[in-house]
Amino acid sequence: MRDYEVMTIHRPDMAEDEVEKAVQALEEHLSGAGAEPTKRDLWGKRRFAYEIDHLSEGYYSVVTFKGTPEAVSSLDRTLFLSDQVVRHKIVRLGD
Amino acid sequence: MARKNNRNPVPTRGRRQDFRRGAKNRPCQMCAEGSIDWKDTSSLRKYLSDRGKIRGRRVTGLCPKCQRKVATAIKNAREMALLPYISGR
Repeated sequence: MRDYEVMTIHRPDMAEDEVEKAVQALEEHLSGAGAEPTKRDLWGKRRFAYEIDHLSEGYYSVVTFKGTPEAVSSLDRTLFLSDQVVRHKIVRLGD
Repeated sequence: MARKNNRNPVPTRGRRQDFRRGAKNRPCQMCAEGSIDWKDTSSLRKYLSDRGKIRGRRVTGLCPKCQRKVATAIKNAREMALLPYISGR
């Protein structure tokens, strides 16, 4: 098991509690894949440094978790396919 | 015809001496502080120029290892639209 961190940007036209639900679903997906989410950080709405898909802002959230590479690749795929997620990034935590 | 290069011999192994005027051996700032987080945009911004370009090592004064870490952190932040690829103009 390794430590990872996933940052997601959700669409700005969602409601705040919808985003929270989406992040919760993300965590449930992780625990379903045998990983354990350890920390959740909702940043709220934030302006982009540049335009993405004609959007200028989005909801940022960061979730840290312990998991296997298989859990990471399945999460990567679901986030990529999700319409609510504008962009996401999974990073392995070092030191 | 190739000219003989007697004045500037090829540097030998080991650390080359810095002959630049005013060059000082400053220790790397980041090594002392620890690592930086790619999500921490305010502290990454000091390694960017006003055009949004990554500052060189002779400007930042970081050691090669830390400079690489800073560069990848900035690139991660750029992908998530936390920092610009280009700014100004």
